[in-house]
Amino acid sequence: MNISMLKVIQPKLGAGQIINLAPILASQIHTSTPLCRVVSGKYRITKKRDRPLTYEMANPPHFIAHRKSWNSWNTSSLKDGLRRSETAVEDEFIRRFMTGTWHGLVCSEVIIKRQFNHIRVAAIIRRAVSPTKMYFLLGYTEELLSNWIQCPVTLELQTVDSFQDVVFKYI
Amino acid sequence: MISEHSTNIAFRTKRGEEKRQWSRLVHICRTMATLEGQKVPQSSSASDGISPPQRIHRGPTDILQALAATVGPDPTAAHYKYHDDPYLIPLSNFRKRSYALSAEAGRKAAAWVRDEHADLFSMREWDPPGKKKTPYLNADPHIDAFAPKPIYNDESKVTEEDFKYTLNNALVEDAIKVFELLGGVNALSEELKMEFLQLLCFYNEKEPLAMEWLEERWFAAKTRDRHSATWRLGGLADSIFTSMEPKSSEAYCAIIQGMAKYYQAERAHLLAQEAMEKGIPLSTSVFNSLISCVGFLKEGTTLRIEALKTLLAQMKEQGLSPDQGTLSSCLKSISAWGGGNMLQQVALQVVAEFKSIGLQPGLSAYYYLLCLFCKERGPRVDILTTILNDLEKRENLVPQDATDTNFFITAMGVCSDHLQDISLAERLHKLLMKGDNYRLVGDAYKESIYYRHYITVSCRHAPFEKTLELLDTLIPNVYVPEPSVMEEIIKRLEAGGAGERLAQAWSQLVVFGHANRVRLVERLLDAFCNCYQYQDDEIKAKIRLAAGDILKFGQMAEEKEEKNEMRSPVQKLSATAMTNIIELCSDVTDKADEGWEKVSQALDRLRSQQAAGVPARPQVLAQVAQRAATVGRPTIAAAAVGYLSECGFEEATSASVATLSVMLNRSEEEVKTLLQDRSNLSALHPTALAVAEAYHEVKSGASLHQSDSSTSSESDSESSDDDC
Repeated sequence: MNISMLKVIQPKLGAGQIINLAPILASQIHTSTPLCRVVSGKYRITKKRDRPLTYEMANPPHFIAHRKSWNSWNTSSLKDGLRRSETAVEDEFIRRFMTGTWHGLVCSEVIIKRQFNHIRVAAIIRRAVSPTKMYFLLGYTEELLSNWIQCPVTLELQTVDSFQDVVFKYI
Repeated sequence: MISEHSTNIAFRTKRGEEKRQWSRLVHICRTMATLEGQKVPQSSSASDGISPPQRIHRGPTDILQALAATVGPDPTAAHYKYHDDPYLIPLSNFRKRSYALSAEAGRKAAAWVRDEHADLFSMREWDPPGKKKTPYLNADPHIDAFAPKPIYNDESKVTEEDFKYTLNNALVEDAIKVFELLGGVNALSEELKMEFLQLLCFYNEKEPLAMEWLEERWFAAKTRDRHSATWRLGGLADSIFTSMEPKSSEAYCAIIQGMAKYYQAERAHLLAQEAMEKGIPLSTSVFNSLISCVGFLKEGTTLRIEALKTLLAQMKEQGLSPDQGTLSSCLKSISAWGGGNMLQQVALQVVAEFKSIGLQPGLSAYYYLLCLFCKERGPRVDILTTILNDLEKRENLVPQDATDTNFFITAMGVCSDHLQDISLAERLHKLLMKGDNYRLVGDAYKESIYYRHYITVSCRHAPFEKTLELLDTLIPNVYVPEPSVMEEIIKRLEAGGAGERLAQAWSQLVVFGHANRVRLVERLLDAFCNCYQYQDDEIKAKIRLAAGDILKFGQMAEEKEEKNEMRSPVQKLSATAMTNIIELCSDVTDKADEGWEKVSQALDRLRSQQAAGVPARPQVLAQVAQRAATVGRPTIAAAAVGYLSECGFEEATSASVATLSVMLNRSEEEVKTLLQDRSNLSALHPTALAVAEAYHEVKSGASLHQSDSSTSSESDSESSDDDC
């Protein structure tokens, strides 16, 4: 709840009105992030409790930096950081490109780490295709992404036998 | 400012507003540089005793190279071009090759997409912020390697700029296309014509394999370059050369070198004569290339040597001083003319002459010397020691010639076949591992031959411990042994009595993809049997397991063959190898041991004629029969004896008597008397009966088959009962 907002309003209004106004104000201005913490970045429990979650999915956003880590690593959001929007759009492009090119093979979030002009893309891949095909996709992805973004891109993949291996729990 | 600077490095961008800071930094650097420039010589120490060293100017990649130099090769990990994941690490030669080439194929596919859709790859979304957006490619600095490559076809509109681009990037086929589109010889300036001629002559109008595709170059099974005239006579290069008037010295140099490089020797020498008569100066490299193909002009060693000397004299007349290339092309010619004392003497004279003017032979010169002196069937000449003494003194080996990469493989071949000297081989390997020298190993093919020689000589001549150490380092990440080397290794392990490693060798065979090679597997089984006796119980069990696994592997291969999944027919293990498996697996005292299953399977295969030939050591089967009877596996005993009698081995008689005596728990004499009378036998247990039948079959020999067919058929049916 937006307590500070209430405190500002309090002296101006009568005590009786606050009760009616406060929730309306808060929902209209919508300035506070904690309001959506209830739903954002979380998965709904199913009736049969059969939705598989990876470790990353099982931990809600407030556990970032405690139990889990960021999916994009870069310095654009630091003070005087460069290319904020570009970085975000590029990251989204890389994620979609990865899941599309490695179709039905990516078992985890795609982690994107930027160091200098080097982008490292990490993911967990299912062993559903032969290693030869994987190497083809590896070369293709690295080359196309680095031509697109104009900087060296390296894939850092790990393979698992099946999606079951990355399931942390069912909800 | 420094910390801000480092955050900026995180991107390849410079913001306009920060340019001021940059210029300030640059200014400071400059003032510091000028201060340094004015500094007094550092030998005289300053008043406070501190004398900072002179500034060393660094290139842009120097730090990276220094960092890279701190990381040595790691034999415990796969090569860095492979992905570090158990599923993606290759363990056999075939896989190494196919994985690396698949990755490159993917890269090629991406490059194709980029070139085909060049308009899509000129995006501006990713422009660095603060930088004025341009209609051009945006990376800062612009990186050529990421830019789409132009495609030239009949419809393209080309300018001279395109032509220059193709020339500078050595795109031979594109250059020819653009040349045609531009309108041929007349449309070009003399300067461009010259460059084009040089390009054509260097590559003989053939598109070279692009530098980009490293793996393809590495794995290209380059056939031995044939010494035949491949120069395109009357080709584009020739016509451009004739169109050039007046012909400059450069033009002559280019065309002569091209012809000489592609073995059009006679025309090259004619043109050289023509140029010299006209008084046109030629370069040293022209003479080098002429020298390397001088042998094609004359027949016979004496005439050839004379021709070589004339050329060198002509070179002196022209006032040209020879270089290292002259030495190696002299030696190349001499080594190509065969062997013999005279040529060897001439070669030594040449080397001495060049040394006297201060030219040390390079790696390719040494390579030709090795070719000349260390012939396969020639007398043993140890020039390698001297060569190594010289090379070890050098700071680093600088590659100068493409043939430089032949040195290490040839030298290791000499160590292994010619000199058979392990200490020299080790010195040579140490030299290869020093500094940057490993790039002189050549390509995948040469590398594998190099290691083949090294491991062979080590297996034959090195102390056992050292060989094991070497094998552990090199296999499988650096090198995967071929079948012939694997046999060498098995021999060495057998001689060293390393049972555990032999048992491991079987799993290595499977992983390396050699398990289908029957000869190798049979050799391994022999080795198993030979050192089985003196192993610990634990290792014995491992060997038994491996032997059983070999049998299982053969069966699986056959099943696959029946389902038509195999491309080549499966070879079957010989009867001797089967006997070896039986001998190994039967060495158990426990009746329920899995080994007996293997034994009975192997006996089944023997009896159903699924193994080639007959066993070399039938007495082994006799022993096994007795042992099986003792343990309480009469069916196996009967099968072994039955097989012996079927093959007509004499051992069958004694074996059946001995086995029966164990089975019936009577002495051998009693058994013999029992066997005399056939009527008694019907009371026996069926397995014992089978053994008795086998005894009679061998006793009566062939006559039994003819006269007493009923007995024979009976024995057959008995034996088939046993099989079930």
